[in-house]
Amino acid sequence: MQDQLAALLAKAAAELPALVTRPDFEAAKARFVGPNGELTALMKQMGSVPKEQKPVVGKLVNEAKTALQAHLDAALARLEAVELAARLGPAVDPTLPSPDRTPGTYHPLTLVREEMTRILRKVGFTVVEGPEVETEYYCFDALNTPSDHPARDAQDTFYLPESARFGNVSKKSSHEKYLLRTHTSSVQIRTMLKGQPPIRIVSPGRVYRRDTTDATHSANFHQLECLYVDKNVTVRDLKALLDYIFASLLGKDTKTRFRPHYFGYTEPSFEVDLSATHLPKVNKPWIEIGGCGMVDPIVFKDVGYDPEVWSGYAFGMGLERLAMLLYGIDDIRYFYQNDARFLRQFA
Amino acid sequence: MKLSRSWLQDYVDLAGVTDDDISRAITFLGFEVEQVIRTGAPSFNNVVVGHILTRDKHPNADKLSVCTVDVGPAHGGVRTIVCGAPNCDVGNRVPVALPGAVLPGDFVIKEAKVRGEPSSGMMCSAKELTLAEDAAGLLLLSGSTEVGTPINSVLPAGDVVFDIEITPNRPDALSHLGVARELAAWFKKELRYPAVSFTPAAISANPRPDLLTSVRVLADTDCPLYTATVVTGVKIGPSPDWMQQRLAAVGLRPINNVVDIGNYVMLEYGQPVHAFDAAKLASGEIIVRHATEGEKITTLDKKERTLSAGMLVIADAQKPVVIAGIMGSAESGVSADTLDLVLEVAFFRRQSIRGTGKRLGLGSDSSYRYERGVDVHSLDEAAHRFIDLILAHAGGAVAGPIHRVGSDVPWEREITVTPGYINEKLGFDIPAAEMRAALESLELVVTEEIPTEKRGPAWTFSIPSWRDDLDRPIDLVEEVVRLYGTEKIPTSVITAPGLVGNDDPIVLFNRKVADAFVGQGFNECVNYTLRAGQEIAAWTTSTHVESLALANPFVEDQSHLRPTLVSGLLESLKLNQSRGVTASRFFETGRVFLERNGQLSECVAAAFILAEETGERSWRPREAADFYTAKRHAETIAALAGIELGRQPTSLVAAPAQGWQTGHAATAGDIKHGWTATFGLVDLAHLKALGITGKVYAGFFAIVSEKVTADADRRSYKPFSLQPAALRDLAVVVPATTSASEVQKAIAKHARAAAGAAFALESVDIFDVYTGKGVPDGQQSLAYALTFRAPDRTLTDDEVNAAFTKVQADLATAGYQIRK
Repeated sequence: MQDQLAALLAKAAAELPALVTRPDFEAAKARFVGPNGELTALMKQMGSVPKEQKPVVGKLVNEAKTALQAHLDAALARLEAVELAARLGPAVDPTLPSPDRTPGTYHPLTLVREEMTRILRKVGFTVVEGPEVETEYYCFDALNTPSDHPARDAQDTFYLPESARFGNVSKKSSHEKYLLRTHTSSVQIRTMLKGQPPIRIVSPGRVYRRDTTDATHSANFHQLECLYVDKNVTVRDLKALLDYIFASLLGKDTKTRFRPHYFGYTEPSFEVDLSATHLPKVNKPWIEIGGCGMVDPIVFKDVGYDPEVWSGYAFGMGLERLAMLLYGIDDIRYFYQNDARFLRQFA
Repeated sequence: MKLSRSWLQDYVDLAGVTDDDISRAITFLGFEVEQVIRTGAPSFNNVVVGHILTRDKHPNADKLSVCTVDVGPAHGGVRTIVCGAPNCDVGNRVPVALPGAVLPGDFVIKEAKVRGEPSSGMMCSAKELTLAEDAAGLLLLSGSTEVGTPINSVLPAGDVVFDIEITPNRPDALSHLGVARELAAWFKKELRYPAVSFTPAAISANPRPDLLTSVRVLADTDCPLYTATVVTGVKIGPSPDWMQQRLAAVGLRPINNVVDIGNYVMLEYGQPVHAFDAAKLASGEIIVRHATEGEKITTLDKKERTLSAGMLVIADAQKPVVIAGIMGSAESGVSADTLDLVLEVAFFRRQSIRGTGKRLGLGSDSSYRYERGVDVHSLDEAAHRFIDLILAHAGGAVAGPIHRVGSDVPWEREITVTPGYINEKLGFDIPAAEMRAALESLELVVTEEIPTEKRGPAWTFSIPSWRDDLDRPIDLVEEVVRLYGTEKIPTSVITAPGLVGNDDPIVLFNRKVADAFVGQGFNECVNYTLRAGQEIAAWTTSTHVESLALANPFVEDQSHLRPTLVSGLLESLKLNQSRGVTASRFFETGRVFLERNGQLSECVAAAFILAEETGERSWRPREAADFYTAKRHAETIAALAGIELGRQPTSLVAAPAQGWQTGHAATAGDIKHGWTATFGLVDLAHLKALGITGKVYAGFFAIVSEKVTADADRRSYKPFSLQPAALRDLAVVVPATTSASEVQKAIAKHARAAAGAAFALESVDIFDVYTGKGVPDGQQSLAYALTFRAPDRTLTDDEVNAAFTKVQADLATAGYQIRK
């Protein structure tokens, strides 16, 4: 018996390490420890072993069984390791580029717009939208731009034919013509007519001018406009807003300065210059960035606000111009060509 | 508008004020300086006339000469100067910069040694004195110039011209006098008006009543005031040098004394004036009237112009001789043999001038001023100045009284304001005395002063007639802050009392779309809203295209509002492909204009394209995009607008598929009901026509702007079962034209019924679509996974089997062939 067990173990030790596939292993396992296996057959002989020898033989059988199981386990572990290696394949080359698509990119105008609205959001400005097709009232009349003002010329403003009908752009009077808004200031009027002060809004959006397209002009471009209406709003508050915006955008050292100017819907009116000599391609101590002023009382009257009670300021700027300054872009047309080599630079 | 510094100095003392100071002042007064142009010679110190006495070759340098130059006893007599110019010949008189001179560019002249030879000064070229862009040699002066004379005395007088932009509210500043008034206020100097000596009282007799027999104004609304003065016996010739230099400096070509004086007065006062040759006025008559339709006039620019009824003209007995306020006729003008003049100084209604100019496409310095507003109350003074200058520089005598037709428009305007009010509006304090001085310096006059309790004195200012823009107290706030200096507005901490609303849902939608698509590897594009009619015709009906046309497009390829974003994205793709740039995924958000219930509606839209042909070769190719890729992205957009596209009826785009490939593009929603979505393959023929290679999948979603809503209501939690699921697979064979969703719905209906109240059908998901062996031609096999689950227990095989058997039986009864 003892010899038989030893022979069996020797056989297992010789055969099992040579196994290559899992079926071979299963067959071998059955051969050794299956119901008809050799170990099973030996164990069946236990019955014929004299009673006094049983403890000794039993111990031998158990030891042999444990040893055989260890051989089997080792063989299985070896096979599994081989199988795993086969499944994994060779090691990767970590320096190969990912063949998956390149990351997406936000358009630089979106980046600038979002950065500006984020800055303004922090001081309570809510982002509003308005229609791009406007009427003469919202774009001009309500903003103190009389009907004979040159800005309203068909030479400078795109109009829609008299026959045009818009289901969702409201008119103040039926005689009004539809046009493409020339500035986002029309949103000021719609906002003030819709609600009551205090109002603090920022309205970014697309505007249109009948202009020759060149490096600095484009048939449509984007503006961003702020309006604040409350009691006791002052010129100094307006200056504080602009200082805040551009310090947030460009760093604490950035300064703004006002130059008197004229806009029909603000009084006093100013143009805003920016001191930002570190901006790319700007070699001047001051660069013009936008227009602003205190809302003209006539505008308040027109929307039904009492100018004796309410005061406010408005500020507007071109987003393309800001983006060009921030990124050092020298041609406005690049924004509208969508060359991926351009778009990927701002991700 | 161009302003000459020397001219401005006639009215305001600018001695010691640098050009930069003036530029700065103009800027902070509210007029943009576009350019500062220097004419003539700048002012030099220690540059004098020298006379070259000898010239010898430099011992150490081939190209240099050693000269002795006489610069006059006051400057050290004869000096030795090394010179490199080829024309430093003996006898020449040239500018010599002496040691101590500073030439432009901060070039300091010193005693020096040049290649070992001492040199005591420098002989100068025109370029070195900034008189010319470049020069071949020394500037040669006339032989008669006296040695030692400071160079500025022999060079043409220099001037500085400021080219500035006048804002439309300030027509009073369209003149030297107007800007001088501003500068006087800024520099706290006195404004000196021109000395006008002519007075109507000085006219004695009229020897020539025949020259101007009558002046009639038949259009007094458009011409409230017209004056005409006859001057006889003038001599036409060049105007004085100083006048020619000033006019040339500000960009006007000198013509003759009369024309130049007219221009000079206009640029001095801002009041346009006109001179007729009296001999050319038929019957000596002047009639201010409206043109008759079709009347013709050949204007100074030698163009024949056809007038329309209502255009204001100055006519003689026969014909129009001037388009009023805009331009005179070629024939009625002053010529070399003109003897007698009629001088017109008039006031025309700005709207009339503007309307005529616009209709004729004609403008002039004169019409520019009339359109913006001329001060009628300064008219007489300008007229008298005109006469003065004519008499002084063209000779002659005034014949007869001034014809003055019309009446003075009354002017009286007062504004009452307190320092307290101004400081409240500014948010910082300016001393009351400073405010008052500033306003007075602009010739506003305090007519009354009443103390108030809290806001300081209430001043009533009378407003000068040329400042029609000042009408309300707020307008004086601007004047005060302008003269105080807007640069000095103090900075402060922003105060923002809590006032936070929500961003517009449209903003949120656009932002979320951008975030989602950037996350999916798309490049965001921005395309023009205005498109070519032909381009958008590929994407919508002809009536829609027609309704999108602008009334006044600027260029042909930007003539229509866009009805889709896809055409723009394809243009972007095409550009990248043609430039050899690898990029295949683009998206855009923006407004489009769709037809809705017979009208146009402005809609919020988002679109994307996916090109099959990326142009990129990959070491490990990935699976290409297909219709269902586009469907997923379209669902993403719709979901961000609160629409679950997967639950919406979706059908193939019907022919003509307008931009989309028939059978490979689908649509859901209808703009009639507020939104629409289309996605799938772009029409291959259209892509070919565009020159785009490879297939392109796209998606377009639009929603009427007012229907974009903020985030949906917060969802409430629904409990879900923790029990194990029971799965069964089921395949049915249906005609290839039967839609998967129809079969899915049928299975779900029967399965839900079979599960009954005992347990629940959780889902029916398609997992295989098969055609081929085992499935007859024209048929397809659709396989679905059914998931059953009970809320409270583990399902037994028996009950699930029973239900599943019933589902199959019911489907068979309903006409579905179950695939075994």
